[in-house]
Amino acid sequence: MADQENNEQLEIIHEFINETRDMINDLEPTIIGMEEMVGQDLDADDKETLNGVFRLFHSVKGGAGFLNFGHLVQCTHTAENLLDQLRNGELTLSSEHVDLLCQSCDFSKEALDYIEEHGDDSGITESADNLMTRFKEATSCPAEQTPEIPPRPDELIIDLETPARQLISAEDRQKFVHESSAIIKRIETNLNNSKNNKKTAAAAAEAILADISLFHENCHFLTFDELDKLTGIIMLVLENSKSHKTTLQRALNFIWELIEVFQESLDNILQHGMDNVYGLEMYLELFNNLLPPDAQVEIHCPPPTRLGEILIQEGIVKNEDIEQALSAQERPIGEILVDQGLASREQVNKAVKIQKKLRPMTGKSAVCSKIPKRQEIRVDLEKLDNLINLIGEIVIAENMVIHSPDLHNLELDNFNKAAGHLSKIVRELQEMAMVIRMLPISGLFRRMMRLVRDLSRKSGKKVELQLVGEDTEVDKTVIEKITDPLVHLIRNSLDHGIGTPEERAAAGKPESGVLRLEARHEEGEVQITITDDGRGMDKKRLIAKAVNKGLLEGDGSQLSDAEALQLIFKPGFSTAEQITDISGRGVGMDVVRKNLEEIKGRVDVISELGSGTTITLHIPLTLAIIDGMLIRVGDSRYIIPILSIRESFKPDSSAITITPDGRELVRVRNSLLPILRLHKIHNIEPDSRRFEDGILIILESREGNICLFVDELLGQQQTVIKSLSQYIGRQGEVSGVSGCTILSDGEVCLILDVQALVE
Amino acid sequence: MTDEIDDELWDDDEDTQKDKYLTFHIAAEDYGLDIACITEIIGIQKITVVPNMPSFIKGVINLRGKVVPIMDIRCRFEIEEREYDERTCIIVADIKGTAVGLIVDQVNEVIDIPEERIEPPPESGGRSYSRYISGIGKVGEKVKILLDINTLLFDEEIEQLDDNDSKVSAP
Repeated sequence: MADQENNEQLEIIHEFINETRDMINDLEPTIIGMEEMVGQDLDADDKETLNGVFRLFHSVKGGAGFLNFGHLVQCTHTAENLLDQLRNGELTLSSEHVDLLCQSCDFSKEALDYIEEHGDDSGITESADNLMTRFKEATSCPAEQTPEIPPRPDELIIDLETPARQLISAEDRQKFVHESSAIIKRIETNLNNSKNNKKTAAAAAEAILADISLFHENCHFLTFDELDKLTGIIMLVLENSKSHKTTLQRALNFIWELIEVFQESLDNILQHGMDNVYGLEMYLELFNNLLPPDAQVEIHCPPPTRLGEILIQEGIVKNEDIEQALSAQERPIGEILVDQGLASREQVNKAVKIQKKLRPMTGKSAVCSKIPKRQEIRVDLEKLDNLINLIGEIVIAENMVIHSPDLHNLELDNFNKAAGHLSKIVRELQEMAMVIRMLPISGLFRRMMRLVRDLSRKSGKKVELQLVGEDTEVDKTVIEKITDPLVHLIRNSLDHGIGTPEERAAAGKPESGVLRLEARHEEGEVQITITDDGRGMDKKRLIAKAVNKGLLEGDGSQLSDAEALQLIFKPGFSTAEQITDISGRGVGMDVVRKNLEEIKGRVDVISELGSGTTITLHIPLTLAIIDGMLIRVGDSRYIIPILSIRESFKPDSSAITITPDGRELVRVRNSLLPILRLHKIHNIEPDSRRFEDGILIILESREGNICLFVDELLGQQQTVIKSLSQYIGRQGEVSGVSGCTILSDGEVCLILDVQALVE
Repeated sequence: MTDEIDDELWDDDEDTQKDKYLTFHIAAEDYGLDIACITEIIGIQKITVVPNMPSFIKGVINLRGKVVPIMDIRCRFEIEEREYDERTCIIVADIKGTAVGLIVDQVNEVIDIPEERIEPPPESGGRSYSRYISGIGKVGEKVKILLDINTLLFDEEIEQLDDNDSKVSAP
């Protein structure tokens, strides 16, 4: 039992961590967006932004309070205070404030990491204190003590799904009580006035009505249901009795008596967080009687939430009928009543609607439903991969069944129909599986916003970041792999590329540099370009540096422009005169290339001295699947990535040249390409060794083109890439093979690595 | 399926797997492998050759979507290769998450060999063969050569074994 509770607790914490991480990730771009408001008067939109940020911090605080994460509560609370002051105009937004809010996000992330590992956040006191000190320095009023973690009303324990939104912080309650006391005082004065001077009674009643409705709004918003109801009915009475002096007088008398009740209730809220109104039902009854009969409302406390009760109230069915139906209840009660002819379908539907309306008020907070939430579910990536593997298996199994040799030569109309249907579904399933792993790149881009902001502040350079194509979808693994390269590239752009405002002004450019991050699908791959309008790279200097560092033999004069630019990818290469903490150590671009190669992508650099640099990352759509050409040599089959194939042709013997040292070349239009015999490399017995009998495939790569000689092209197919077992890797370098796949007949088939073949 | 059974065995009682060995036949000798590391036994199937591998790695097979490398134990011990037949089996072993298939001539049975019936591997003047052997189990009159799966799979210093050495394993 204890174990189970423990597990549940862990699950809640886990959920909280995930939710909060998402929230913070959503929050960061907004906070960075606040930078634009610095030093300006806030308009309504800006206020809404502030409110949005406030709400998110508030939700985090609520959740953290519920789970007793003191530091996190403290941090978010302080951030809230700051935002509150900004909202009220007590402080003017400055960049420091934005920094602080960013740091709060950082701290929250750190806290979450810590919580994930240790189950609580008690171990990060130091960073919490640091943050608090910084807050204290930045805000005019010192950070308050952590608010006491609000005691939780019982229902919260049952309702674990939305703990974050359920809680009303102690601070909110205090504010509410404070405000409400003021309102009640005002009502009291007005009541006094109306007593002393009968003539102004009507005006006083107006004022009281206004105050009561304000009070009512507040109660409603903070879901103090009992006060909500009480004030609601008072409003109704006052509204209805405007023209009836006597009723108005009676109503005012009642309100007079209620002043004490209100105060009592507010005290309750302050102490217990509950708004218990003693004798609520009696008061409701009293006021209800003041209403004209047609305006009277049903008073039931708590309000009926069971369908049967609603139906009774509506006078549609009798209590006995409900009881009878209930005793046999196995289905929804509404259905039973309809079946028994006691109520019509419409009546029950109406009652169900009422029930739905009532429910959020009694149970879950109504606030949470206001925030539209994307419907999603978190799944362990491993489970997902297993699913995708299994779907791959289904494809193979389906092929085995449909092409089973046992079915050969049989007339199977029905079977073929069913098999066709099955194939279609399996294809769809496979496509779905591929899409599941894809994520929009916006999350990654957003992280870069933060990076750019931090770096530009640190270096004193002005940079405008433009994001294009944020909704481009990329495989999750790809996103993980390009995060580091992107960080390095952006750092480089900011450190080496974009100059200081003075420098830029001198070069006749606008002070603020533009860094453009763009993602798009093109040519069956994802391209991410990073463009800056900075200094650009000086090829002569690159070459000089490379020679100087011994990374290049000779004087480098033979290098083309493109080759010179490729020098930046050499390990240890850096042109920065001094190593800053942003970049300059010469590891960055090396990492970029390495990571890109791991995911079978590549990097292109275009740079114009004085006008800027464009770096393009070419990334395969997904790591899991490629378009492949199935080829055959002897008994062996191989897959060649379609992207690497330029063309294939049957050679004419006259086009073949053999050099004296035995190298075979083929003339294709104007160029001579070396021929590689696949059967020689892999030691297989081919159908024929004569070029005229087989087929030549021109393979393209960075290093140049070659021709591969194979027996036959078998056709194009979608290829699910699998890695050869790790064990194989330990046994020796598998050159010329990038992985393997499983063919429709269940056989393993190697995927050729064109790059390696060319080399 | 096999995973489930393994888990069950593991959960119920670790001792149920203790002292149990899967015995198989290669050339003239009987060998044994601790069953704790074995996940399943499958018949021989088409193996896809991987280039640049040592001779005892025959290639890879597809085992329900998993790519499993295959080692021929005959080649590992430098015993003369022979044609695979219907009795040739692949024993799939799982070592720390890495599945590897072992080709043997014939699988026999699972037997109990208590610890006191196992003798240490013969000293062979420090030469290479005996390091694949964890002990010699005696079952009645017969002798089973118990193999150490870890060195068998992961020992990367493959030395040229001459004929004399190979006889050590078959005294």
